[in-house]
Amino acid sequence: MVAFRNTDTSGRTTGLLLRCVLYSLLALALIIIDKHYDQLGKIRRLLSIVAYPVQIVVASPFEGWDWFRESMSSRGALRADKARLEAELRLAQFRLQRYDALEAESQRLRGLRDSTAGVTDRFIVGDVMDVDLDAFRERVLVDKGAQQGVFVGQAVLDSGGVFGQVARVGQLTAEVILISDATHAIPVQINRNGLRTVAVGTGDMGRLKLPYLPTSADVMVGDLLVTSGLGGGFPAGYPVGTVAQVKRDPAQSLADVDVKPAAALDRSRELLFVWLKPQPAAQASTAASPPSANSPPATLIPAAPATHAAPATHAAPAAQAGQPERATPAPAHPPGGAAKPAKTPPPAGGNDE
Amino acid sequence: MTRDNRLRRLPMALSALVALTLAVLPLPSVLEAFRPDFLVLVVFYWSIESPRAGGLTLAFFSGLALDVVQGVVLGEHALALTLMAAWATHLRLRLRVFSIFSQCLTIFTLLTGYQFVLFWVDGATGNPVTTFGRWLAPVIGALLWPPLSGALSRLHER
Repeated sequence: MVAFRNTDTSGRTTGLLLRCVLYSLLALALIIIDKHYDQLGKIRRLLSIVAYPVQIVVASPFEGWDWFRESMSSRGALRADKARLEAELRLAQFRLQRYDALEAESQRLRGLRDSTAGVTDRFIVGDVMDVDLDAFRERVLVDKGAQQGVFVGQAVLDSGGVFGQVARVGQLTAEVILISDATHAIPVQINRNGLRTVAVGTGDMGRLKLPYLPTSADVMVGDLLVTSGLGGGFPAGYPVGTVAQVKRDPAQSLADVDVKPAAALDRSRELLFVWLKPQPAAQASTAASPPSANSPPATLIPAAPATHAAPATHAAPAAQAGQPERATPAPAHPPGGAAKPAKTPPPAGGNDE
Repeated sequence: MTRDNRLRRLPMALSALVALTLAVLPLPSVLEAFRPDFLVLVVFYWSIESPRAGGLTLAFFSGLALDVVQGVVLGEHALALTLMAAWATHLRLRLRVFSIFSQCLTIFTLLTGYQFVLFWVDGATGNPVTTFGRWLAPVIGALLWPPLSGALSRLHER
């Protein structure tokens, strides 16, 4: 992997200094190019292929152990598992019965109201690899990459709700930034009354924050937060979390709201990569021209989820105070974060290449 | 001399690869903050032990590998490792006559410098990590230095 060439056999201090300066400049140049231009994507992808065997080697003993345990599990345990899964499936099917009809209805209503909220089109399942990335950032490595059509900014869900979004794509792997990462923000909406705001990560996997709600906002412990679909990065209507704690300090203008994520951020092994349905042509043309086509208030209010939306009078003033401008879902961190929401809809058509 | 250096490259590359594997090995999240920078220590060892066999090249490419597996800005660890490996090479003659305690202190300083460069690049590229946990790694790395250098010296003296 490491090519040792061009060794200065003289080994004098001058040579050392020269090489040190040379390599440092090279590293600095890499940092600057990687930060400001998108040129290094290909190189990084190639390098990630080189790193892939290391990651596989590291992950395989753990996967092997899982496999071993599974194949050694007793018949009784398997039967119990099967019974539980069947019960879950029955419940899920029962809930699904009316889903198709409801979705069609929702689509029709959205169409009538010219809503541009993204709707899930298709998804693939990826497995979280047993590899530790940076200890101080909330990220996971998943075994699906550019080869499967995964793209930067793509929404990632797990069985409980929204998990995060793709921060970086390798050829065979992708890095997913969790919604709990301190640099991540996701546009959400309170399911009960349609109040829109932004949920920001805290760096703690069990907690998100709603930092932009005024003390007077109508938010209660137990409220379900769903994605609002604003900004185009995430599909609308998926659970993000439930409000766990609301602190209202009369001296402050903003409330202190803690949210418990709906996704099992620290436990999930299987993740869904979601493609949004392409917008119908008429809407797409209006939506595509300005990158922030999702922000005019006219389209904001209808973006409520299929449940009974609150009276618009209720949502609007609160949302004004709640910084609707920040509704772009962007990990502040990945290069070109601002351009992402605008970029997301086009690949949605399923260019699976 | 050249021949000798060439012979050393195999243990160098091997130990670096093992250290890289240790760097991505999954740990319980409680222990994650306590993970020492194995690869950095290995690079320091080779920069001190046989700087002419390409310690800086090893440092640069090891750093690049760390950048890729950790998914940070490309060049971040490469820069930090190159600078600190050069410093280690510069100190190597003094380091050899130091007592084991002074060696640990020096390694602690180098590791702190390494973390500082990372901290600086993180901040400059707009995603600072301000948790205190990152400054723990130098302490653990310094404590790990005596056993690690002992093991590595046994490896290449064979």
